[in-house]
This record gives sequence, C-alpha cells and structure tokens, in this order.
Amino acid sequence: MKNLMKILFVVIIAIFVAGCLENKKTPEVSMPINLVKMSGQEMIQRLGTGEIAGFIMWEPYPAIAVTKEDGKYLVLSGKIWKDHPCCVVAYDDDWYKKTNNSDEILKRMALSQLKSVEYINNAKQSDSPDHDQLINYTMQFGQMTDPVAANLSLADVEFVYNTNVAGTTTFIQRIQDFGIFDPNKWNLSGYKNASDYANSLVTNNYVDWAVNNKDENVSKIALKEPVNIRYAYLVNDIHELPFYIGWQKGYYRDLGINIVIAEGAPFQNGAFEMQQGFKANTVDVGSLGIPPVIIHRINSNDFSNDDTRVGVIAGMNNEGSVIVVANNITSLKDLQGKTVGFPGPGTIQHVLFLMEADKEGLKVSY
Amino acid sequence: MKFETGKRGLLINILSLIVFTIVWQILVILARNDIFNIPFIRLRDIPTPVETWYALVGSMFTRIYGPSFTYGIINHVYASLQRVIQGGIIAFIIGVPVGIGVGYSKFLGNLFNPIIEIVRNMPPMAWIPLSIFIFVSGGSIFIVFIGVVFPIILNTIQGVKSTDSRLIDAAKTLGASESMIVKKVVIPSAFPSIITGLRIGIGVGWMAIVAAEMVIRSPVGLGYFIWNMGDLGRYSEMVAGMVVIGVIGYIMNISILLLQRRFINWVD
Repeated sequence: MKNLMKILFVVIIAIFVAGCLENKKTPEVSMPINLVKMSGQEMIQRLGTGEIAGFIMWEPYPAIAVTKEDGKYLVLSGKIWKDHPCCVVAYDDDWYKKTNNSDEILKRMALSQLKSVEYINNAKQSDSPDHDQLINYTMQFGQMTDPVAANLSLADVEFVYNTNVAGTTTFIQRIQDFGIFDPNKWNLSGYKNASDYANSLVTNNYVDWAVNNKDENVSKIALKEPVNIRYAYLVNDIHELPFYIGWQKGYYRDLGINIVIAEGAPFQNGAFEMQQGFKANTVDVGSLGIPPVIIHRINSNDFSNDDTRVGVIAGMNNEGSVIVVANNITSLKDLQGKTVGFPGPGTIQHVLFLMEADKEGLKVSY
Repeated sequence: MKFETGKRGLLINILSLIVFTIVWQILVILARNDIFNIPFIRLRDIPTPVETWYALVGSMFTRIYGPSFTYGIINHVYASLQRVIQGGIIAFIIGVPVGIGVGYSKFLGNLFNPIIEIVRNMPPMAWIPLSIFIFVSGGSIFIVFIGVVFPIILNTIQGVKSTDSRLIDAAKTLGASESMIVKKVVIPSAFPSIITGLRIGIGVGWMAIVAAEMVIRSPVGLGYFIWNMGDLGRYSEMVAGMVVIGVIGYIMNISILLLQRRFINWVD
C-alpha cells in the first residue's frame, strides 16, 4: 500500500510538471485568442467593465453593446462569409414519424415562415407603414428598451425562408476541418461526405409548397383539425424574429397550428436545444443555428434509434452575427492572448469565429 | 479511511476497480442492444470504459485543427490544480492563525464563533454567483478558499482545544510566556489536526473548483473542459474528464495522508 501511495504521489507530481511544460509550450504556437462561454447579457456587461476584449454573438447583443458605446463592430459575419446560412427551422424526426399529417403541418410551418419573412422584409424599410410595429416586435422579442438598438440589430440580419444546401455543405466541411465531430459517431452515421450529409439533412419540398400556395386563401389551405406544435427557439435571438412575428400575428393559428412553447424554451444556445429538446423529444419543431443541428445530429445521436435525428425545412436568416470589440482593439490580431465571449462550443458564432481566425492565420482556444 | 493493508488489500482494491469497469461496460452494451435498461436513464448514451479510455488518450495533450486550438486534459488539470493550491495556501495562511486565536483565547472565541458558524454553513457553491460579480479574476480561487478555510479553522480550533492542559501548566510553571506556549506547546499539539483539516479542505476545494469552473469564466480548467465537451456532444471526452477529476482528487487525498504519516510521526 505504501508503495502504491508513493507511485500515485509521483504520478501527481509528474502531471503537474507535464502541465507546466505543456503550458510553457503554448505561446510558441502563437498566443491563441481565448473563447469563453457566457450569456449575451454577460458579454455586454463584461465588455463594459473591460473584463473581456470582445465577443461574437447574435443580434441584438452587438447592437445593444454598440449603442451603449461599450464597444464597436469589428467584423460583421457577412464579411466572414457573404450570405452564410444561420438559423433554420428544424423538426424532430420522432415526432415526424408518429404524427399522421406531419408533412401537411410542415408545409404550413414553412408557409407561415414565408409570410413572416415577407412581412419583415417590407417593414424593415423605414418608410413602411409597418416599420414601427416591426420595431415594437423586435424590442419585445429581443427584450430591448432602446428603439435605436432595435433598428441597428435588424440592419445586418438577412431574413430568408429558403433552405441552403450548398451553404450547409460548406458548414459541415468546416466543422469537420475544425475537428468538432466525434470521429466514431461520424463513422456510425454512414454519410460519405459533407454533401451527402447536407442532402439528407435539408428538405426543399415544404418551402416549394409554401411558395406555390402563398397567394391561396388561408381558410382554404388551413388544416381541418388544428394541431398543437411544441416549438423551441433561442433566447433573445433576433434571427428568429420570423417565428415571433408568425406567432404574434397569428399566421400559424390561421393555418391550423397552435404554437405551444416547448419545455425548457427559450434555450440558451442551439446545443441545449438539440440535447435537451430534440433528443429528449420535448420539441416538435424549433429554430436554431445550423451548426448545432449539424453537430448534434452526429455527436449526440444514438444511431441505434436515431433519437437526435432532425430535418431542416426552411431558413430563418442569413448573416446577422457580429464580432464586437472594445474601443481600443483595431484588428482580430489584437485579440491574441485575450478573452473573447461566445455563446458556446459548436454554435454558429464559434464556427464563424474560427473561420475568420483561419483567414487571419490566428489560433483560437476554447 | 481504513484499508486492509498488505498484498491482499491491494489485490481487493484492484479487483474492485476491474469489476466496476467490467460492470459499466456490460451495462452500457446491454442497454445499447436493448437487452436491459434502467427506466428513466439513457444508459445507452453513456460512453463505455473503452471509449472513455480512447477519449482520454486522444485528448490528453493540446490538439490543433487549423485555427482551433483545443487545450489538452493535462493543461486543464494543471490550471485546476494551480487554483486549488493557490486557494489552499491562502486558506492555510488565514485559517491556521484564526483557528489558533479562536481556539486558544476565550475572548476571540466568543467574538468570532458566531460568524464562523454562520459562514461555514454556506457551501462553497453558494458563493459562486456572488464571486462572479465581485471578482474581476480569481473568483474560482476564492471558491476554493471558502471550501478549504473552514475545515482548517475548525480542525485547528479542535486541535488547540485538545492540547493537554498539563503541558500548558508545566510550561507556565517553567516561566514560558503566552507566545512561547502557543509556539512550543499548542501549535505542535494541534498540528496533526491542522493537517487533517487541510486534507478535508483540499477535498472540498477540489470539488468546489470543478463546480466553480463550470460557472466562472475561464479558458482552462477541468470543470470548463467537461462542460465544453458536453456542449459539443463529445461525451467520451466529458466522462474522461470526470474520471480524471476523481483520480486527481483521490491522489491528492492520499498524498496528504502520506505526507502526514511521513512528517508527523509522533502521532498515531
């Protein structure tokens, strides 16, 4: 027993020494930018107190930070990748299989999405008669008090309803490059490559139906029997404004869909929505970033029963995330060795930040 | 903690670990093949020991994928250990004098006891939300400090109070001053108890640091690692991190025991 203790004592010392050596090695690789997970509120607060040098987040948090003059926009995600897909509408495959008219429901979910996006894109124009109403919806959904911030937050978000297979393929490829997939799970999934996976994930049929039926009389195409849909979304995420508009303006209801907010929603990030919502079968349909969908349909899935299988039926928005930095930072390089807030590993903001760092030849730790 | 000593004891120790690992592997495999399931638990999602082992080996050192720089478990262990040691040292420096003062002087005892009794009942985790706001950095070291300081104070008080009064009387008779009595009689007598307090405290501090690292923002630390791996759905790495936490805690505990036996040989 004494010898065992001596061995264990040596082991702990060895780990400590190895840790020292490993830590000393880090700067030689070039000082990484340290991404640290935190909520949007915390990002604004900590940027204000100087505890973090910047953050990458969805709107409206960047707009709020900038209007409070706590920081400035360094890189809009549209500059990282023009028209990149962002949030999408996804359904739970278990719900899909056990619901008789799931296809009919999803067609109408896509139609509501289309109507909301068209409303927003018209109302975004400052001379639109609906502009003030849109700003009110934005402030309610984003829990904002400042209409200036609400206006600013809408400026860099491109609301869409179309799916984007090519963009999804690129995201899958980059997620693979960044070593985020669990290699064993990827092998179990049986997908040959990024394109194969994207095609299995994204379905265009529902949006096609919505486009063809958008001018039909609503009462004619509404579901005969109204259904309850447990819907999940992300907290204060302006990207998902089309959902809120569809819910508040009664687009879903008119088409025979009663929105019931799913247990646990709104979620703190897409990873939670996938793990605690879709995997746990507490969500039927939800909106979230495309990367968490891509990652968790592989990493969190039990392939013997495909419990985390989801399908993407429509887009929500393109672009709309921002790298916000303290006023003394002028480039991404200035963030080396500093702490930058992000909503969590595997979120779209994480992947976009890695892409931007890759362009600049910088390293990012998380 | 009493173990059966000798070869037989060691054999039982090793056997129990092997049996535990085999049972773990079998349970998960049975669940994955729909042969056996515990209701309300998704046993099939738990990584097997074999998967955990591979994840442990694979994530031991820093990995670089393009711009992505993932710290190795070794870096996370180092960061967490560093925080526990720093918090432990501060707790030792503050806790021992406070414990001696409160244990030796009735006046100080009456003065500080109510505060100690109330504050020690607030678990370290309860301090996490406050420390997020009051500390710009070092919040997790503070959480460790809270975890370590009270076992040290309480054990020091107990050690001081159990000093043989005949020894104190004898020292007084020989003309020793109060400070001499504390230095030459009380502290040596209380020392084993102080070390016991340190051992218990470090155990509490280690558990607290992992909880603190999950909440208090820092790029490295075992708590942060397992939380991040969970977010990414890398459950094998997450469980590997949990196993490392357990093993390091165990090693720390017996290391202090070993030091205690080696250096405080006048105590049973």
